[in-house]
Amino acid sequence: MADLAALTAAIEAGDRATAVRITREAVDEGMDPRAVLGAMTAAMEVIGAKFQCNEIYVPEMLISARAMKEATAVLEPVLVKAGIRPEHTAVLGTIKGDLHDIGKNLVGMMWKGANIEVIDLGTNVTAEKFVEAAKEHGATIVGISALLTTTMVGMKDVVAAIRAANLGDVKVIVGGAPVTQDFADLIGADGYASDAASAVEAAKTAVGMA
Amino acid sequence: MKHRDRVLMALAREVPDRCPMQISFTPEFADRVRADLVARGMPENPAAALNVDGSRAGEHNPHGGGNTYELERALDEDLILTSVGWANEYYREGDQYVDEWGVLWRSQPYETRFGAGRYTEMVGHPLADDAAIASYVPPDPYRESLYADAARVIRDFRDEYFVVGVTVTTIWETAWALRGYTQLLIDMVTDEELTDAILEIPFQYHMAAAERLARMGVDMLWTGDDIGSQRGMLFAPTTWRHFYKPRMAELIARVKAINPALKVAYHTDGDVREVLPELAEIGIDVLNPVQPACMDPAWLKREYGDRFLFWGSMDEQHTLPFGTPQDVRDEVRLRLDTIGRGGGLILGPTHHVQLDTPLENFWAMVETIRETPCR
Repeated sequence: MADLAALTAAIEAGDRATAVRITREAVDEGMDPRAVLGAMTAAMEVIGAKFQCNEIYVPEMLISARAMKEATAVLEPVLVKAGIRPEHTAVLGTIKGDLHDIGKNLVGMMWKGANIEVIDLGTNVTAEKFVEAAKEHGATIVGISALLTTTMVGMKDVVAAIRAANLGDVKVIVGGAPVTQDFADLIGADGYASDAASAVEAAKTAVGMA
Repeated sequence: MKHRDRVLMALAREVPDRCPMQISFTPEFADRVRADLVARGMPENPAAALNVDGSRAGEHNPHGGGNTYELERALDEDLILTSVGWANEYYREGDQYVDEWGVLWRSQPYETRFGAGRYTEMVGHPLADDAAIASYVPPDPYRESLYADAARVIRDFRDEYFVVGVTVTTIWETAWALRGYTQLLIDMVTDEELTDAILEIPFQYHMAAAERLARMGVDMLWTGDDIGSQRGMLFAPTTWRHFYKPRMAELIARVKAINPALKVAYHTDGDVREVLPELAEIGIDVLNPVQPACMDPAWLKREYGDRFLFWGSMDEQHTLPFGTPQDVRDEVRLRLDTIGRGGGLILGPTHHVQLDTPLENFWAMVETIRETPCR
């Protein structure tokens, strides 16, 4: 029987080959995909906690996320067939004028790791594009990242555009090096995260996820 | 007091008349300051709007290569910077350009309430493909033309100013420009041999440049890489210790063998508390830029004031762009009272002053530094 504890360990270690192999075994055995997914998200939860207390750093997060991504690709068809979808969808991007993406990418990886569907719009994203994508994908979360003081001021416009579009209960989470809780409050964001790991907490709290 | 003597005193942990000051600017902010100085009565000098080589009309190089230094001197700054290496590839003209290392850059415009500007961002990496590494030929650090500017600076300015030879982006920064940011972060924890092959490229180049600048007689060598993030090291201290510490140690040993009085500054943004003892161990004298939102300047002075001198510390994420002139004045005085107490500090912003900094804030910083006695 596929060893789910070993799957969790493989993802934690960033061992993509082992993660893919065990996932394939689990799929071939017809194991409940929710259990397999659970083993994966458990790994990313540990990774997030370790990152927050500086036990691991960005490179280790990247390889764990990569291992989970490749293992998920194997599991995906089974999930789709069983109609198992994440409860929440997030639209994510770096603000207009800003090409920096490592922070945004890490948030995307951690949100996927927490079983949130992530639509990554890339960098240099306008307010209109955030709104359009949130509408199209029925997003409950919009994540905006900025690295520059010159571009972060534009986050205010995205919040305003989302409220004006009347999309329902959409929560806006902001982050990035120059961004602070005070700034997030000032622009009316629903959440703020100082790093990718706490972005999971911020998203879950904002939408009332367990 | 000569500008250079002010710096020498501060670096000897003596108390000069006022704290030495160093400020660099984005090209757009340089234009704005120049215009303001002219409005305040500085004679308009069209030749000064051109760089010395004439080929980069009006573009100010924030790292100090090819500048006339008219602005720095008009502001009463104490240090003059002259740079050799990959950092000179920032802010070149054009919407898109390929630098001599093969990195593709793109102009990224931005708007502020004080006008529009552009950053230059690296968008194409010549060593993204593993197969490209073995056959890659870097630029030659021994070309005489690279050092003409430093020779001019030393000849024209060293009598009065403290001259800094700049070889920042020493290893990591240039390496990730060649390889790709995310990819090199992954390489460092998955492929030691490949990582070493890539890191050697900028390391050997900048070490050669550093040695030459040391022999030419710069007062300080400015090296560095951004190894810290807003809330901790970007990669593990063990990773830094394995790949970067021995290389930096070698570079520092070599330049100090050439000139034992040479000061070596290390630039890193972010929170790097975890490796501070080791930076001191390998011979770093001056910590730069001391990003205050990440490492408390007062704490640094208390814990490391005997081991490090400091350069920077004026906040550019909050105070300079978004604070009031009074906030800026208060911060200058706070720094002088803490990280600058008893000397040991070169004061200035933690990055090139950006176009979103109001001029009132800029002048509040400059005037307060110039007018406040040190103690």
